Amino acid sequence: MGGEDGLLVGLEIHQQLACSTKLFCACPPAKSEEFPYHFERRLRPAQSETGRFDPAAVFEFAKGRSNMYFWNPESSCLVEADEEPPHPISKEALEASMLAAATIDSNLVDEVHVMRKIVIDGSNTGGFQRTAVVGLGGSFSIDGSRVGVQSVTLEEDAARILGEDAASRRFALDRMGVALVEVALEPVKGDPEFVGRVALHLGRALRSTGRVARGLGTIRQDLNVSLSGGAVVEVKGVQKLNLLPKVVEYEGKRQRALVQVAARLKESGVRRVRCRTGDVTAVFARTSSAALRRPLGVGGRVGCIAAEGLGGLLGWEPEPGMRLGKEIAEVARANSLGGVIHSDEFARQGVAESEASELRKEMRCGEGDGLVLVAGPQEVVERVIPLLMSRLEGAVKGVPAETRAATDAGETRYMRPRAGSQRMYPETDIPTIKVAEGLWKKVLDQMPEDWSTLVGRLKGKYSLSADLALKVYDSGDPEEFERLAHSLRLEPSFIASALVDLPVRLAREEVPERGYSPQVIVEALKAVDAGRVAKEAVPAILGVVGRRGVSVSEAIGELGLVALDETQVAATVDRIVGAEANLIQEKGEGAFSQLMGEAMRELRGKADGATVARVLRQRLDAALGKTSRAGGDQPS
Amino acid sequence: MGDLSGYGGDALKSLKEAGAAIGDVLEAKTPWGEVTGTLVPRYLYGDGDHLVLKLRSGYNVGLRVSGLKGVRVVAKGEKPSFSPPAPPKPAKGLPRVLIIGTGGTIASRIDYRTGAVGPAITAAELYSLVPELSGIAQVHPEIMFDIFSENITPKHWSRLARRVAKAVKEGFDGVVVAHGTDTLGYTAAALSFALAGVPVPVVLVGAQRSSDRPSSDSSLNLIAAVSVAGTARFSGVYVAMHLGESDDKIAFHRGTRVRKNHTSRRDAFVSVDVPLAAVWGRSGLEYVSEGLPARGGAFRPRPRFDGRAALIKFYPSMPAGAIRAARRAGAKALVIEGTGLGHVSKELTKELAAFVKAGGLACMTSQCIEGRVNLNVYDTGRDLIHAGVLPLDDMLSETALAKAMWVIGTGASGARARELMSANVAGETTPRTFPS
Repeated sequence: MGGEDGLLVGLEIHQQLACSTKLFCACPPAKSEEFPYHFERRLRPAQSETGRFDPAAVFEFAKGRSNMYFWNPESSCLVEADEEPPHPISKEALEASMLAAATIDSNLVDEVHVMRKIVIDGSNTGGFQRTAVVGLGGSFSIDGSRVGVQSVTLEEDAARILGEDAASRRFALDRMGVALVEVALEPVKGDPEFVGRVALHLGRALRSTGRVARGLGTIRQDLNVSLSGGAVVEVKGVQKLNLLPKVVEYEGKRQRALVQVAARLKESGVRRVRCRTGDVTAVFARTSSAALRRPLGVGGRVGCIAAEGLGGLLGWEPEPGMRLGKEIAEVARANSLGGVIHSDEFARQGVAESEASELRKEMRCGEGDGLVLVAGPQEVVERVIPLLMSRLEGAVKGVPAETRAATDAGETRYMRPRAGSQRMYPETDIPTIKVAEGLWKKVLDQMPEDWSTLVGRLKGKYSLSADLALKVYDSGDPEEFERLAHSLRLEPSFIASALVDLPVRLAREEVPERGYSPQVIVEALKAVDAGRVAKEAVPAILGVVGRRGVSVSEAIGELGLVALDETQVAATVDRIVGAEANLIQEKGEGAFSQLMGEAMRELRGKADGATVARVLRQRLDAALGKTSRAGGDQPS
Repeated sequence: MGDLSGYGGDALKSLKEAGAAIGDVLEAKTPWGEVTGTLVPRYLYGDGDHLVLKLRSGYNVGLRVSGLKGVRVVAKGEKPSFSPPAPPKPAKGLPRVLIIGTGGTIASRIDYRTGAVGPAITAAELYSLVPELSGIAQVHPEIMFDIFSENITPKHWSRLARRVAKAVKEGFDGVVVAHGTDTLGYTAAALSFALAGVPVPVVLVGAQRSSDRPSSDSSLNLIAAVSVAGTARFSGVYVAMHLGESDDKIAFHRGTRVRKNHTSRRDAFVSVDVPLAAVWGRSGLEYVSEGLPARGGAFRPRPRFDGRAALIKFYPSMPAGAIRAARRAGAKALVIEGTGLGHVSKELTKELAAFVKAGGLACMTSQCIEGRVNLNVYDTGRDLIHAGVLPLDDMLSETALAKAMWVIGTGASGARARELMSANVAGETTPRTFPS
């Protein structure tokens, strides 16, 4: 598996910080549902300090798309709209990021310089993201392996994408400017499972600072994947931790396939893939290929690239599902062009043999060459052909450096060429920040307990299973658990399970979230502790709270739950035992489970199951003429 | 010894010892390991204790020299130099437009000396940044000054006016003046007087968000300015800036009626008490106000300005000494920005009377910005008239200052100066104001 053939993965974790304001303005980091205002912008590639333009920026600009930004004063102001210079950096966020750096043993820099990182896909209104290195180097250990830290940076989050089409992208500004800490790790061996564990460890370490935001979308992983000696591919936006191993596996397979294509080319003596292009619209005037007819029907053109030596290699699958042809199609799709057909799929795409041979004649090429047809509006075809050409020419090199997006299925898709090193320049609106000794000490004073030590302590002190102890930690509020374990006379494992397992179960049963907020769970636990209800009643109570929007007390009332004392329990049990004399006669001890079932049907939520069982056992023994095992009640 | 611009103190010492220069790749030994990066210039007000390295990732970090165990040069480099791609060639047969660069945000890049945005791009580079221009006009970029707009003086106005007048003679179809936004309104007013009757469009253009950022408003403002300067049927002096927050419409304001009303927004410029002159959209002019002068006609520039005028904003408790100080400083004309309909305190009224008596030109505008002054309504106003203060109707204070400098620049004084100051030379006053 991964690792042995030199697959390397550099992990970047982006974690939102829990702060009262955004990084460069006084807006609260709140999520908005409605956006009463909007405006439209077009971003242009910016000239760097050397006067050159970044290739990734030029690529995005060439698409000619505009960006629509939607905003709400409850979550954004003129700063996010790029209508006002940034305010001084949030000290709260700076401290939190330094604490994060110190927690993973990274070294704090002496002076923090905020930079502008050019991001021209519209996700930042300014066309750049503000970002600053706070920590450099350092390492931590996972199961005996050292994992090096490259850098810890403090940066602003991007705008939230709402949707896009060929003409424009729509973004919400609420998330823009929220403080993030990014941890970039040195590459580790590309063993998917190990990469997953590294990410898990890092996430837990960051949470141990108590200064990071929680919940969906607050943490995001990017990967830099390469085969040793090969170009680095940046994979963006792995939202869920459990997808990480899948993405690593997919990307490893893809890159190995591309290397094999390059090797095949080398074997057959192709050192350079020479490409020729031409307009071949006339060849397909009466085509029956649906993929070509569609664009032609609306006045489009068909362009053709003839790539020397690629015949048979476009559709070849050195690894399952990985083809050079697929790569080409992805580049086209990233440019809003769907109609791409290559020569290894002509038959499947309805290109007639007569058309294929005419095409080969027209392009003056033989069977050993690959052909790629590009169909669409003329200006798009003209824009996309050079991009596809350079991708085909790159086939001899194996893996091209590019930026890809992770999909929900754990695969990766082409996004754009990799940004050059010129994409960073100083944010001149923010003065540099000297990390004075006082700030250093303040940060060190806040250093949290190491997360694995904390989990070990939870396990030992409260007799939790390893799994439950980790869940309590991962839930994000182990302090709350410890407080409850001390103040309530309930078993810690019951408290832990109510806090971390119940919400998962209720969510699965589609109970609205208000039914299992931490406050509601704690209130329900307190009711159990006070003897008002039995612990078995908790899920039902939370269900009612969630579905009906009532308080815990009201839910207890609605469910008719009144905790019965043992005398009342005994009365019910006696009645059942009396009524089932025949059954007891017949089955003897064997009647217990049936009787218990009947008793619990009447007593669930009103009495503790253990109490019911104990009383029933006594009554059954008495009925069968045995001496009670329990010392308390004697049979009457 | 190589260039170490911006460095001082211990940092400079240790860099000199290492034989390092800006652009070299250095390895700095910190207590926790080596940091390798390119030495970048230190900004002007940075301390002498840190050196700044640009890491391979592109990030800059500052390292305290006293904490380092050593610095060595790993590779010699070159100081980052500016080498933009060559500008595209304009098509033949398109209108000819002169673009005059003066500095300011529309033509700025990063200034490492101060770490702030400063004027650096030449107009030719500006042109390479906005290739669309080559499809609109034959553009002739020319740098006249390279200064922040707050450093522009009446002398610069005179030079600008003369250059525009020359451009008209040279047969240019229009002129665009790229200008920092802070004093753009003043320059627009000044040129409106100096170039009254100019037969081509003269469009002043700026940017509120620096041109080094992908989101800058500079390119679209410039495209609209060049397009209108080259092809519009009207003439006169205008300011072209964003109409709203979006990159879709550009407002054209009359040079004498425009004001910067916001510190940072793209649509900071507004036409006060008058409709916009025109609105430009991506497909051309979408709206043109009635009554704009047509292209062509005889034209005699009057480009002289005399800077000895002052704009004084009255405030409660303002001492009479403020007027005396202006007089002592050589002011020949005063524009007083009074309260409400145009009022100042009794004490100041006396002082203004003395100023007028001594041959000075004293005028009144209002700090209300909107509406016109009227010195006939209250006693205070009548006292001011008696003192010889000239009410300027609905003229904007900034426009009034530029006009006063122009009036005394023509050599006019006394009654002739008052007459010229009151005359409507370039649409600086309007006879009627309408409900908005």
